[in-house]
Amino acid sequence: MEFVSPEGLRLDGRRPMEMRQIRAEIGAVSSADGSAVFEMGNTKVIAAVYGPREVQNRGQQLNDQALVRCEYSMANFSVGDRARRPKGDRRSIEISLVIRQTMEACILTHLMPRSQIDIFVQVLQADGGTRSACINAATLALADAGIPMRDLVTSCSAGYLNSTPLLDLNYVEDSAGGPDVTVGILPKLDKVTLLQMDAKLPKETFEDVMELAIQGCKAVAQYIREVSPQNFIFLASVSQLSVI
Amino acid sequence: MVGLSTGEKHFIWGGIAQDLRSDGRQRLHYRPISIETGVIPQANGSARVRIGATDVIASIKAELGKPSMHQPGKGKISIFVDCSPTAAPMFEGRGGEELSTELAVALQRCLLGGKSGAGAGIDLSSLIVTEGKICWDLYIDGLVVSSDGNLLDALGAAIKAALSNTGIPKVNVDLGPSPDDQPEVNVSDEEFLQFDTSGVPVIVTLTKVGRHYIVNATSEEESQMSSAVSVSVNRHGHICGLTKRGGAGLDPSVIMDMISVGKHVSEQLITVLDSEISAAEASATD
Repeated sequence: MEFVSPEGLRLDGRRPMEMRQIRAEIGAVSSADGSAVFEMGNTKVIAAVYGPREVQNRGQQLNDQALVRCEYSMANFSVGDRARRPKGDRRSIEISLVIRQTMEACILTHLMPRSQIDIFVQVLQADGGTRSACINAATLALADAGIPMRDLVTSCSAGYLNSTPLLDLNYVEDSAGGPDVTVGILPKLDKVTLLQMDAKLPKETFEDVMELAIQGCKAVAQYIREVSPQNFIFLASVSQLSVI
Repeated sequence: MVGLSTGEKHFIWGGIAQDLRSDGRQRLHYRPISIETGVIPQANGSARVRIGATDVIASIKAELGKPSMHQPGKGKISIFVDCSPTAAPMFEGRGGEELSTELAVALQRCLLGGKSGAGAGIDLSSLIVTEGKICWDLYIDGLVVSSDGNLLDALGAAIKAALSNTGIPKVNVDLGPSPDDQPEVNVSDEEFLQFDTSGVPVIVTLTKVGRHYIVNATSEEESQMSSAVSVSVNRHGHICGLTKRGGAGLDPSVIMDMISVGKHVSEQLITVLDSEISAAEASATD
């Protein structure tokens, strides 16, 4: 199948290095301490953060840092053909783990010992790149909850089809069987916190694809900084100071 | 879980007794309702309803299926509800399952009528394509995104709005020469049929706190309830379904009273929902 036309256009009319339209909205769930909606094209996720609060299960309490927990769930109607999945299948457990580890890397957990932070992400629509969208939504929700972080983690994916590196794959491109590189970065500190790839790629090509994904992450970071209210940036800068 | 101090409880009780609730409403006043339709493009119909801080999404998917042996002239509808952990941390893992099932069964009772499908808000025979062979299966999925009381009413309203937004593709069936042949189905992706949603009832839940009952309770008020009665009423004022929840017993005369009040409130609610739905449809087509 042809994923890039001779004119250099993709199936949905984008250029290879073009992202889908992104949109973020902060404060979607009023009962949560922090929440955000993040859309990348047709992919739409909601993240809600509860905490820092008392640890619910005393056995899990950590005396030197906060306990970060994450649960990823997909709505029944989020995918094209309606499939009723049991809660906690392997895929969602894996994504929960990925999100938790990525967020743990940027939260200043040592400032909140003996407490718990819960991150819940709910996928409303899945059209490729849910992993990245969830991480971006979780970052915004954590920032909305006023949780101290090193930086605002952002994530984006890139792939390689028809000998062309493609940014921000949609569902059709994702299921084409080519490689899918998901990258999460701390844009200000310029560090990679998440890196995943399936399928195989020559090393030189991999470098190009990863560089493209990092560019995507930076574009997301730019957008997040534009939309997030001034107080986020203030909080972000204060937490940066505490690291240095 | 709602943690309330003794003082807060007294405040809620006293306010309800004096017909002035914590948020300034009277006992039979609703919170502002906002409706957005077509929020899930992949579904045949969808709507998002916000009542105060309660936020729910309903989506409707139609799939071709086979009618059941006992009712060859009717389609099938199933309702599922999911309580997202974003609404409350207690819904994490399997924590929301009990409430989800309670809500789904209550919705089924209120909207789908009896086992035979008689008295259903949605005409099941309109879902039939070829009698005994092909019908539409409607899957109604509710998702609770944010919860601040009165979930059942909100889900009922969301389903009503989603149904009015639903387009079922027109189907051309090519019956084979012999009756045993598998018929050939041709689903049109241009022509859509709209549902007749005028018969879909609305759900009004009356929550009894102390000696009085209120509509559209917040989660703080719900935590103080002794029992609640959910009435589903259609446009003609007919009662389509009833559910009583909560542990405390109720005097039969009080139940009658609650039902008649519910019926009265439902008239206003139908008017509000109708205007909100048509406003949402109008803004969606722009």
